[in-house]
Amino acid sequence: MTSNARIFAVENKLAQITREPGGRTIENAVRAAETRVESTRGASIVSLVEKAEQMTLLAAEGRASGDVAAFDAIYDLSNAIFGIAGSFGLKALAEAAFSLCDLTDWFRGGEPANWPAIDVHVDGIRLLATLGDKAGAAGADSILDGLRRVRARVLPAAT
Amino acid sequence: MSQAPNKNDRVNLSQAEVLLACGDLQGLNIMCEMFAGFGVHTPRRCQTLAECKTVAQDRAINLIVIDSALADAEGYEFISWLRRAELDPNSFAPVILVTGHTKPSQVFRGRDAGASFVVAKPAAPMVMMQRIVWLMNDQRKFVSSPGYCGPDRRVKALGPPVGMKGRRHDDLSADVGIAKTPNLEQDEIDALFNPKAVAL
Repeated sequence: MTSNARIFAVENKLAQITREPGGRTIENAVRAAETRVESTRGASIVSLVEKAEQMTLLAAEGRASGDVAAFDAIYDLSNAIFGIAGSFGLKALAEAAFSLCDLTDWFRGGEPANWPAIDVHVDGIRLLATLGDKAGAAGADSILDGLRRVRARVLPAAT
Repeated sequence: MSQAPNKNDRVNLSQAEVLLACGDLQGLNIMCEMFAGFGVHTPRRCQTLAECKTVAQDRAINLIVIDSALADAEGYEFISWLRRAELDPNSFAPVILVTGHTKPSQVFRGRDAGASFVVAKPAAPMVMMQRIVWLMNDQRKFVSSPGYCGPDRRVKALGPPVGMKGRRHDDLSADVGIAKTPNLEQDEIDALFNPKAVAL
């Protein structure tokens, strides 16, 4: 702590407003939030498929051009897929997207690009997104096993 | 902090001004639905850094929930800007940073940007509500220094770890030493409880 630091109290306006009479019990608020989030499942699955398709195009363009900027775009899409999939309990898709985030983050850091590793992830994500809730546990596990092996080979230090 | 709030406690977010920001439209929609369930009526929706800045400059905000990935920037940038923007009261508003692909370095980055909380996805409604309740009870002071601007990052005030010497200049030893001055006389003690007006 430098001598230039100022430490001071601030008014907690959030506390004042949220303690006004009325409102909802925490239990009801959480239940209502869960219901409303669940109501977006259909639109979210459509969005996941669109993102997966978009990612396929980006990967093809990136491989053809060799432009490392493609990794930024693929990372952003994969990160978005991870967030949405996790919200609806699509664990296999979330794990696949997280793995692709790891890979693209690694490559955009300057490591030599391994496009086959990217492609197999993109294909796996597209398949899992298309299947959505219908992705059976056995099928999803076999896709994830393959992706885990690829990831372990490409990112040995991180596994 | 991890202790679950009482489910029968009431929270009134109907009058709260809440800024919700996420670069991905569907991610933002999900976030908005969650907060609508919490009772927030008209959250300020933002996808870009510029939109976030405009809202923060335009109206008083009570709670900010921002994804680390905005459409054109990172959520950290907005938090750092907000904390130093000298927008009273928004610069001191509680900020929950939601991160997706999270590495430890990103958690530290969010904390160092001045976020009140960093929440990793998937952020379930119960988790988000726990953080809001925690922020409602937050008594932390605000720190403004050349290297950091935001809520005091020292969440706990339990003193230094057992057996270790504290690093703060005002940390006291747990051992009480021998008195260095004579004990107070009884009339001196009594005087402490009977303050009298004095002429200055």
